[in-house]
Order: sequence, then C-alpha cells, then structure tokens
Amino acid sequence: MSTLKATGITKTFSGVTVLHDISLDVPGGKIVALVGENGAGKSTLMNIFAGALRPDSGSILIDGQPQQFHSVSDATNAGIAMIYQELNVFLNLSIAENFLIGNEGAYARSGGLIDRHALREAVMSTLEAVGLRRNPDDLVADLGVGERQLVEIGKALRRKSRFLILDEPTAALTEQETSRLFLILRSLRDQGVSIIYISHRLAEVFELADSVVVLRDGQEVASQSIAETSESELVTQMVGRQITNLYPRIASAPGKVALRLDRVSTAKTHDVSLTVRAGEIVGLGGMMGSGRTEIARAIAGLDPIIAGTLELDGEARHFRSPRAALAAGVAFLTEDRKYDGLVLPFSAQQNLALPTLDTRQRFSWISQHEERAFAQRMRDSLRIKLQSLDQPVERLSGGNQQKVALGKWLERNPKALVLDEPTRGVDVGAKQEIYNLMNDLKRQGKAILMISSDLPELLGMSDRVYIVRDFTIAGELDGHDMTQVEFMRFATGGK
Amino acid sequence: MMKWIDQTKRKTTSARFNLGWMQKYHLGPALGFVIIFVALSITSRSFLTVHNLLNVALQTSVNALLAIGMTFVILTAGIDLSVGSILAFSSAITAGLLIGHVNIVLASVIGLVVGALAGLLNGLFVAYGRLAPFIVTLGTLTLFRGATEIYTGGVPIFNLPEAFSSFGAGALVGIPIPVLVTAVIFALGLLALQRTTHGRRIYAIGGNERAAFLAGIPVKRYLMAVYVICGALAALAGLVLTSRLGSAEPTAGFGYELDAITAVVLGGTSLFGGEGTLWGTIIGALILGVISNGLNLLNVNSFYQDAIKGVIILFAIMLDRKRAS
Amino acid sequence: MKSIKVTSALVALLALSLASCASPTSGNSTTSGSGSSKYTIGFAVSTLNNPFFVAMENGVKSEAAKEGVTVIVDNGNNDPATQLNQVQDLIQQKVNVIILNPTDSQSLSSAVKLANQAKIPVITLDRSVSSGTVATFIASNSVQAGKMAADELVKALGGQGEVIDLQGTVGTSAEADREKGFSDEIATAPGITVVARQTANFDRSTALNVTQNLLQAHPNVKGLFAQNDEMALGALKAIQQAGKSGVAIVGIDGEQEVVNDIQQGLIYADIAQQPTQEGVLGVQSAVKLAKGETVQATVDSPLQLVVKGTSFKGF
Repeated sequence: MSTLKATGITKTFSGVTVLHDISLDVPGGKIVALVGENGAGKSTLMNIFAGALRPDSGSILIDGQPQQFHSVSDATNAGIAMIYQELNVFLNLSIAENFLIGNEGAYARSGGLIDRHALREAVMSTLEAVGLRRNPDDLVADLGVGERQLVEIGKALRRKSRFLILDEPTAALTEQETSRLFLILRSLRDQGVSIIYISHRLAEVFELADSVVVLRDGQEVASQSIAETSESELVTQMVGRQITNLYPRIASAPGKVALRLDRVSTAKTHDVSLTVRAGEIVGLGGMMGSGRTEIARAIAGLDPIIAGTLELDGEARHFRSPRAALAAGVAFLTEDRKYDGLVLPFSAQQNLALPTLDTRQRFSWISQHEERAFAQRMRDSLRIKLQSLDQPVERLSGGNQQKVALGKWLERNPKALVLDEPTRGVDVGAKQEIYNLMNDLKRQGKAILMISSDLPELLGMSDRVYIVRDFTIAGELDGHDMTQVEFMRFATGGK
Repeated sequence: MMKWIDQTKRKTTSARFNLGWMQKYHLGPALGFVIIFVALSITSRSFLTVHNLLNVALQTSVNALLAIGMTFVILTAGIDLSVGSILAFSSAITAGLLIGHVNIVLASVIGLVVGALAGLLNGLFVAYGRLAPFIVTLGTLTLFRGATEIYTGGVPIFNLPEAFSSFGAGALVGIPIPVLVTAVIFALGLLALQRTTHGRRIYAIGGNERAAFLAGIPVKRYLMAVYVICGALAALAGLVLTSRLGSAEPTAGFGYELDAITAVVLGGTSLFGGEGTLWGTIIGALILGVISNGLNLLNVNSFYQDAIKGVIILFAIMLDRKRAS
Repeated sequence: MKSIKVTSALVALLALSLASCASPTSGNSTTSGSGSSKYTIGFAVSTLNNPFFVAMENGVKSEAAKEGVTVIVDNGNNDPATQLNQVQDLIQQKVNVIILNPTDSQSLSSAVKLANQAKIPVITLDRSVSSGTVATFIASNSVQAGKMAADELVKALGGQGEVIDLQGTVGTSAEADREKGFSDEIATAPGITVVARQTANFDRSTALNVTQNLLQAHPNVKGLFAQNDEMALGALKAIQQAGKSGVAIVGIDGEQEVVNDIQQGLIYADIAQQPTQEGVLGVQSAVKLAKGETVQATVDSPLQLVVKGTSFKGF
C-alpha cells in the first residue's frame, strides 16, 4: 500500500502566509479527515497535493520518494485524484463519454475511432465498483448530485488513483446519498486507497475517518487519531476558543402573531397553515425536496398564492412580487447566496445598501458619505470581517458573505424574516455569530422562520418546529417533543 | 546567468505592482490608448496638432454616443445589435420632416422620440417577452433597416436646411458641437451610472438579476429603460451624422453596432454584465477613432488596414485582461 | 400563462408595425402595360438599398411598361444565398427571360447554370458571373470610367498638383477596375502626385472622416478622385467643413445629388453611369430573346461625362 506524505509545506500569497510548515501523513488504506474554518488553508493545501499550486517550501513524498508536481496532470499521473466541491463533469455528455474525456488513449482504435465496446465494458465495471446502478449511456445532466460525484470517483479509480481527495463531498447530498457515499469510501479504503476527507460536518468525520488533522490560520493545530478526540475538542481546536453551547437558544417571550398562513396553496404547495409570532424563531424542516423552500417563496412574494390567506400583523396581504413583500415587511434570505442572494461583483458596501437605496437617496442621488456610514455601522454590528468595504463580496469567506446577505435586509426593519439555510457553507465560528444575530433579532421582536437541513441546528435554535412533507405541513413540534426521533417520524411519514 | 534571472525577477515584481494600481483605477484601456497615442505622435507629423485632435474627437462622437448607450445595455448583461438601424431610421424620419419644412428643433425631437420608441420595442421584447437580447435585436436590426429602406425608397434624403448642418459642422469656442454634445451626454451618463440609485440598480441587475429582483428592484422597468436610452442615443448619433453629412442615407450606420460593442469591450466592460465604466467606454471609442485617423495620416495601404486594426484591438484587450486576471 | 399573453401581444404589435411600415412601393410584382402581356421577365436585383440600383429598377419597370411585358422584381438584399433562392423561384415560375444583377459573380454562377438547364435565357446587368451561359452582359466599362475621371482631374488641375484617391471597398471588382483605369492614366501626367490612396468603403460618412484625416496630413491637396459618388459627397462635406476651396472633386456614378453639386460648381466633374439606361437595354434585350431573336454577347452601357453645363438628370 502506498503512503502519501507532506512535510514542511509553506505557501505565501502576496505577502500573506496561508500555510505555515504543514506536515501531513496519509498512511495507505486510511481515511484522514482535514477540518478547519473557512480560510484556515485547507483548500490551498489540497491544491498543492493536486498539483494546482506549488509550495514555496516543503515537499510531497509518495512512498518516501519526493515528488515534483508542475501541473495537475503530474499529480494525476502520480496517482492523486481530487474531487472538487463543484464537480468537473460534463453535464451534456453521457456517463461513458465523461469517462472517455481525458482518457481517450485507453479506448482509441486505429484512425482515431473509439472502441465503444471496450469503453462500455470499462465503464460498466467501474460503475459497479462505485455502486452506481446506471446505464453508461445515461446523460450526466439526468443524474443526481450524488450520482455525479460517483461518476467522478469512478473516473479517478479508472485512472488507478491511489490517493483520493474529497472537498466537502456531502454538502449537496441527501442523507441516503451520503450513506451510500460512505459505504463506497469505506470499501475503497479497505482496498488500499488512501483518502483525504475535507468536511465541515464533524459528525461525518467521526463516522468515517481514522484520524483527523485540524488547521487554523494556516497552522497545523492538531493531528490525532479519531478515538483520541471528541466533537467539542475539535470545535475548540478549530476556532481557537471554547464554544460552550453549540446552539445558544435564548428564552422566548413571544408576542402576538406576526405572520400567519391559513391554508395557503401555490402552484406547488397546498393547504399550508402556520404561524410565527413576534420574538419567536420557528423552524421549518423536512427532507430535501419536501417543499420547504416553496413555502418560503410563497411568503416572499415569489410564487403567487392561489388559495388561502397570508396575514402580516393580522392584516391579509397578497404579495405580487418580492418588492411588495419587502415593502410590507417580509425579508427573505435565500438558500444559495451566490445564486440569488448577493451581487457577486459588488462590494460589501454596495450589497448591503442595495435593498435600501431609496431610503438614503435625494433625487435619486446616492450620498457616498451616508452609504459608507451605513455600511460601517452594519459591518460593526454584524462583525463582518473584511479588508475594506470596497472589497468585492466574491472574495469574502462564506460566513462573511452570509452576514452581508442577511445584513442587507435589516435596515428595511422587517417584521418577519424567512431564513432559508442561514448557515449553509459557513464555518463553526461564523455559525455562532449568525445564531447570536438571530437571537438579537428575536429579542427585538422579529418573527423568524428558519429553514434548515441541519437537524441539530433546527431543533437547537427553534422555539417551535414545523415539519414539511409532500408540499404541506405534516406536523408541529415544541417543548420536549422536539427530538430527532419525533422529527423524523413526521418527516418520513412513519408512525 | 544569475544576474539575468535577478533582473527578470525584479521586472515581474514591479510589473505586478503596477497591475494592482492599474486595476484599481481601471487604467488598462487608458494605457493602451496612451501607447497608441504616443506611437502616432512620433510616426506622424500631422497627428499631434490641436486641429487634428479635435478632428478625431469629432469623428469619434458618433461611435461614442452609440457606445455610451450600448454600455447601459451591456451592463445589464444585454446587447443591442439594432443601434445602427435605429440610427438610420430615426435619421431618415428627421431628414424627411426637414425637407417637408418642419421646424428643425421639432424634427430633431421627433427623431429622438422615434429612436426611443425603437428602443422601447427592443426593451418590451427583452423585459416582458423574456427573449434573449441578442435574438430580439438581431430581429429589429433587420426590421428597422427594412423600415428605413421603405421610408427612403433606397435613396438618400438631401438638401437639408443649412441651419441643421450648423449643428454637426459648427463649433463653439473652437470645439465642434458634436464633441460638446457627446461630452455632456458622457458626463450625464457617468453621473447617472456612478452616483445615482438608478445606475446602481442597473449594475446590480447585470451583476445578479435574481438578487436584484429579490431586493425589490423593478428589474423589468430598468431593462426596458436601458434599451430606450440606447435607442435615443442611437437617434442622437444619427442627428450628429446627418447634420455632418447634410443628408440622411438609407445605408447610414451599417455595421456601427460592432464598432460600438468593440468600444465598450475595449473599455473593459464585461459582456456578462455588472462590471465596467463609461470612462472605459469613452477610452475604447477614442482608441478606435485614433486608429482610423492614424492609418489615414500614415497613408497605410487599404488592404492592410483591417488587419492592423484587428491586431491593435486584440492587443489593447489583452493589455486590459492581463491586468484583470 | 401571463408571459405567454404578453409575448403574443408583442408579436401582434410587431406585426402591426411591420404592416404600417409597408407602403405601396414594397410591391413585389408589377404587371405593366395593358394587362395582356405576352411575356414575363424576372428581374433579380442585388439590392434596392442604393439609388443606383433603384434607378436600374426604374429603367426596367418603365421599359417593361412601354413594351407591355410583366416584370417580377426580386431584391436580393446583397445576399448571394437569398438571390440564388430567388432565381430558383423565378425558374419555377417559368419566366421567359431572367435579368440578373448579381450580388456576387462567383456564387450566382450556379443560379445561371440552373437557368441554363431550364432553358431560360439569362441577361446580366452591371456585373456578370464567372461561369454559366449568359445571353448578354450589359454594363458600363469601369476601367474606362476610371480613365475618364483621371483625364478630368488632370484637366481641372492644369496638370499640376497633389491629389487624393478615395478607394472603394477593397476586394470588389468595381474598386479594382476603377483603380486600374485611374492609376494608369494619372501616371501619365508628370505634374500630378497622388499623395494618398485610402479606402472609404464606397460610403459617404466614412469618406467624410477619411477626407478630414487626409486633409490634416496633406493640406496642399488640389484634387480628389472618389471611386463613387457617395464618397465624393462625403469628401465634399469634409472639404467644405475644413474651410478649403479650390479642391477639384471628380466622382463616378451619376447620382442626382452630385449632378446638382456640379451645376453649382461644388464638384468638378462626374463620370455618370446610366443605370436607368442599363435597365432599359436589359428589357429590350429580354424582349428580343423572348421573341427568339439574337442579341450581342456584350453591350457597353454608355458612360457620360458630366461637367458644369451638361444636361444630365442623374438618378
């Protein structure tokens, strides 16, 4: 079995040291987890392994032999395969064609023709090895995210990769897909493949990994066997301070009902009834695809309500656009901040100011001075960490991006906030800050409806929880009933 | 050997230092302009004279007006291929009114309104018809050209009143009137885009239309507005051209959309929307104007001119993109 | 649903605006004469986007009316593919003769061959095709036109001075032939120097800019040859706006606007083609062919020198 080793890796970007003297040991047939907050240096380190970046000093050894990677293909040839979070598959091609690309030589016949039979055979056997029951001629676009990931892993195996690096592989997977992936990763490990597994989800790390390495600010703060550590210890190592309470729910003193849905139906959802009171955080949970986001869209004025009533502060409302919903006092934090939450080329200041341009204008004129003052106030109160307010948000970390995406609504002083996956892709430290922010809003008497796929978070932060199944509310939990077991009973429709 | 390596190293670091500085103030296109400008000042004796530079400014004004309008559209991630045809159509209408003895101001205003309405048609299709701007304006490119041919019967409209020509051919304190008009439009456009809520919203729509919509921006209205602005400025460019020529040609503005788009892209504006400045656009238009002027002054063989233009454009874009990457 | 409604409303609006733009001149087929026309002639014109070809069309129509034959006019919009389709349609309609003013001499050869197969005689106007059988080719001689222009310019300058040559779109045969006629002839005048040869793409506004630029570099220019009238008119504007006088302009084509300017002494001379005449000659030949008479293989359409005092209407 082959071993992969890095010693004394240091990397500097324009004067900033992002990796300082990192050593990593990946024994053959083991799964090593790599954890750390965003910006800790995980991606840089992995890119060095993958040959995409070259270290300033230090070296990578395979079976004790020093390696010189000048390009990704050098690393690939040495047996290292990187599976990125954003998958490198061609959606418009079939599974077999995806296998072919970059490996044309293996299936070439004379005259540049493709040996379709050999390709098909190879793909079939690989799909079986990764447990993907699909026809090689299926279009990758028709595959789920989890299946696409298996295609990538299959491609890596086909190239005889001995070292597999996975960057947040479960971020977009359902629970079932996740467990299938784990099954396959374990079986690969047992066949002698070494795996570096990067994840924010500590539960997964404990489920899967043999050992765990913690990075913080480019330094290696811990490298330990999984048996020797605990979840809370890892969190402490990652953030550099102790977090006593992962989900700092505060006692609620809910006021009157701020948001009420009474048998609301849209083109997708039907008969949704729920209430959120002022000064209350209400969870909205359910399996992926159960209709949670669709309910949020109806509240935010994105999908027209065709039956039932929506009341805000006791007044029936009919929002025909997000603009109308916003004017009435409903803010909507969408689940994908890059897709529809932020204007990526805009600076943090411009993003923060966007929904409230009107309130600071004089004859359509933007007062740069006032806008800057407003943005500074937001930056300070939300504790957004950035070099400058003029920095494009695309260069901020996930947590800081999320703070900007959330913060921009606050100046509108909304009565109700719908937060769809408020902590997705956010590291542990920033999660705490977002929770604290939600608590602040709760104290101010805002009605908050939070959607989350992270069950401990949903149950930990909410005062009450609604469970969505088949595009309607399947049940409601509060007090001592708010347990994972009860939740899953409703979510899966079990008895 | 060692020494040589040292020198190259120093060179690259100093170049990198420049990069950030250049990028911050969007100076990539300006650098390209300065290089061309200096090169022409050295190679041609006639280039660096007040008279010739005013001449270049005058010749650039039509494309600059089109490119300013085009910038608004491209900032929203759109494109307007119909500007050349709108220019021709609105010019023909104005010229037709003028030879029908309609008051000059009224005829000009009607021309501008026709341009704005043509832009409105584009905007309606793009914003409310949800059709791709490229396809819509590809259609109206042909539609408005056809309308021009029908209206003019394929014949130039000439014998326009002398007073109308004084707009395009006249000067105020030595500066050609079209240049002054362009400068005013540029200044207004710059202020609108950089300093007003409307400009900010246009950038936001181009940067992320969905996020802009969620932030309560009436996206459709703004999309429509940028095509109206673009159409009206195309008509204004048409007025300038018609008054300079003293006639309205059915073929006027043929292919001008490409010059306008080239100016915008040269100026560093992203075709994907949300990024770019009017400063860049005006520099882009000046680069094109200076190239044409320089090639004439140097009496470069006609056969080589297009190829040389192409190389210079690619070079200028490379200069900018190197900085941006 | 809503967006579909909006879209269909927009489509209706577009259709309406198209319809309202359509004026009587857009009719495609003209039945001329008494109505009992014996013959049908197809006229495929390269473009009607240029007064020259509009005049040619007028010549065809008026002569057809006189002869009492039906003409189907097809505007190729300067696109060889469009024109090829149009010629095929004319063959389908079994016209007696096709008068072709080709958009492109290469591409339209195949159209001519198709007509040959269908045994429909083809007459080419102004430009011809590179292969296929053409019954007669009617055009003015471009080399000759360039030569005549050079002679006029030498005469205007008294054999002394600097001149500018504004070229047409490079790569066209008109540009090449007019350039050859002009260059060869001007070279025989020792006192004349051509200080600049620059293209202005046969376009008026381009000529305005190019001439402005050239006047910067060559302030002592005394004469200017423009390979077509559109460029001559653009150059005239540039010269006027530069406040210069005494620059003699000679153009080619015979546009009415230039003819007017010549009478006012603004332009020195023009070598007029007679597109109306080409159209007339075309129809005359077509009628002969339809009747089964023989025609000459090439017919030179007359060129006319227009100077101040010449009575010529232009087109």
